[in-house]
Amino acid sequence: MYRLRSLNNRAFLSVLLALATCAPALANDGVVRVAVLSNSPPMSYTDAAGQPAGFNVGIAQALCAAMEVRCQLTVVPLQRVIPAVAAGEFDFSAVSLLDTPERRAKVLFTKAYYRSNSVWFAKPGVEPGAAGARVAAVAGSAQFRYAAAQGWSTTSVRHHSELPALLMAGKVDAVLLPMATSLTLRQDPGIQSLGLATTIMRQAELSGDVSFAVDPAKPELRERIDQAFDRIKRDGSFDRLNSEYFPFRLQ
Amino acid sequence: MAPRFFPERWRNGGWPAGKAFAFIGGVFGSIFLALLIWLAADQRVVLERSQRLLDKTVPSTLEQFRLARNVEQLRLEGERVLSGPTPVARQQALFIVSLLASHPALLADARAAALAHEVEAFLARAARADSKVDDSAEWATLSNRLSLLADDVSIDGVNLATDDLRQMAATMASSRVRLAIVLAVVAAFVGAILFLIHRYLIRPLQAMDEALSALRSGQASKPFATALMREIGAVEGAIGELREAMHEKEQAARQLLLLATIDDLTGMFNRRHFMALADEEIKRAQRYDRPICVAMADLDFFKQINDNYGHAVGDLVLQSVAQVIEKTLRQSDWVCRYGGEEFAFLFPETGVEEAHRLADRLCQRVARNPLELANDVCLPITLSLGLADVGSASLAAALRRADTALYEAKRQGRNRVAIAPLATAAADPASSSVEPQPPAAGPDPPARSRP
Repeated sequence: MYRLRSLNNRAFLSVLLALATCAPALANDGVVRVAVLSNSPPMSYTDAAGQPAGFNVGIAQALCAAMEVRCQLTVVPLQRVIPAVAAGEFDFSAVSLLDTPERRAKVLFTKAYYRSNSVWFAKPGVEPGAAGARVAAVAGSAQFRYAAAQGWSTTSVRHHSELPALLMAGKVDAVLLPMATSLTLRQDPGIQSLGLATTIMRQAELSGDVSFAVDPAKPELRERIDQAFDRIKRDGSFDRLNSEYFPFRLQ
Repeated sequence: MAPRFFPERWRNGGWPAGKAFAFIGGVFGSIFLALLIWLAADQRVVLERSQRLLDKTVPSTLEQFRLARNVEQLRLEGERVLSGPTPVARQQALFIVSLLASHPALLADARAAALAHEVEAFLARAARADSKVDDSAEWATLSNRLSLLADDVSIDGVNLATDDLRQMAATMASSRVRLAIVLAVVAAFVGAILFLIHRYLIRPLQAMDEALSALRSGQASKPFATALMREIGAVEGAIGELREAMHEKEQAARQLLLLATIDDLTGMFNRRHFMALADEEIKRAQRYDRPICVAMADLDFFKQINDNYGHAVGDLVLQSVAQVIEKTLRQSDWVCRYGGEEFAFLFPETGVEEAHRLADRLCQRVARNPLELANDVCLPITLSLGLADVGSASLAAALRRADTALYEAKRQGRNRVAIAPLATAAADPASSSVEPQPPAAGPDPPARSRP
């Protein structure tokens, strides 16, 4: 289901449209272009009706409502997010990105909307960095970058949803993924039967502030998104989305 | 009196009102501006604090609430680890416990981090299948501690906002005191301005109004104290000058009136004035049918006195006789110097007999009052008098008859009174003609020449 929340009022939508046309910082037709992931539950996925859904999708819509702009959500793979935003193909990305120096050199980051760490899922006995361990991560993720940098035998996938199959097929011994998506992975019935062990990874490269990326040519949009974050965190819409998708508070 | 700290120029010349009020306004304006800045400082503090409350404190409070919620969530997941329906559910709960215990936001709070670590360690141990120890008592303690910590974290979050609000309330209270002070200063200034306006503008204006009213009603008001305000002082000065000018004009008018009605030498009415008054009086007497007499008198041998002793003595004689006449006549009788040594009389409400007695007395008194000259010479003076009852005749006719009687008195030997016979219509052919010419003007007609 395409969640509109406070946007489901036609009159309000037309007001938003009118306001959006007045915003000079945005694309020509007044629509804010937003990049989202798919196949990464519970953050972003395509629901039964074929519409984008998930925590980050909800946050993106809440931000657009708070900024009183109309947003157009486009699905891209994680690997394309930073290059596309850096190239100005999107005004911002509603993707949880760890704030790393490499990314910061290419795009603008909003203020952190929560803090995260990473999770190592492995067959029992396979510790992080164990010799010969084959590890999988999503291409373009901080986790993939970290694993590769460690010299581990690393396999990349396009989407988080591809990871369980790799584990179940025995093609990898471990996966490295962010805290939020690990919650869904852990609930996969196929995974549960494998009796995998989890290790929380708190290394600096794998934990810390999580933000949205903004077109580097639009610092004023970054300001507006920051203010919108303040607002949705104050008015409760952030926490409602949080409760909808997670068993605990993202902070 | 202006206070000493004002410039000498002002103290002596009065204040220029415009400058004085501009000065007062300027001083107050500066004070008021300073007070406004003082007030604005409080408002700025309140605004800053409320902005900080909105931007920083409320988000921090909400973060504390989220942390409290996570601590509580840790307890709930712990319950599931210990009493979950299936091993999978218990494993899933333990996974969430480990995620929570490693959550960067939770680790940022020392109390929460320590307790979460303890809880995670306990639950991991308890989840092991081989554990046979009854650990429900330890969990009850940990669970209780988690609940208490959640409460503490929530209260800490509320206190963040409470501190800001308390500071804002204190600032508002101080702001109220400041506002009261500012209002008091404004009230004092308005009071002072009203006092100054009353003292230095309204009261001088009222005094001027009184002075002008007094001038209008003909009284010359006394000059007032000079006002402190220069402009007011100028108007007061102008009113003073006006008052002086009106006073002088009044004096001059009075003087003119005297000159027009009084004979210089004797102080008696002059002939013209007498004629006007007498004419009115006779008309009134005739209208009401009242008795009225006229008389003409002439000093005896006055020409000889002038010739022998000079005109100065002649003038003295005239003055002396005038005094005797003034003293002898009644208040209602009128007399004038008719010309030269001639006098004319009018006796209202008086019949011929009474007038006669009065005229006799007058002659006697004049005769008893000779003029004493410096060289022990006593100059006798006598008066001849012709009396006529006016009756229905005109003033001119009556005077002419009195003049005729006077001539008769002269003829009879002077120093006496002669009465004109009663007028008849036939005997008064010139009743509408002009009055007889005074003997002083031009050469005497032969019939009227006197010795």
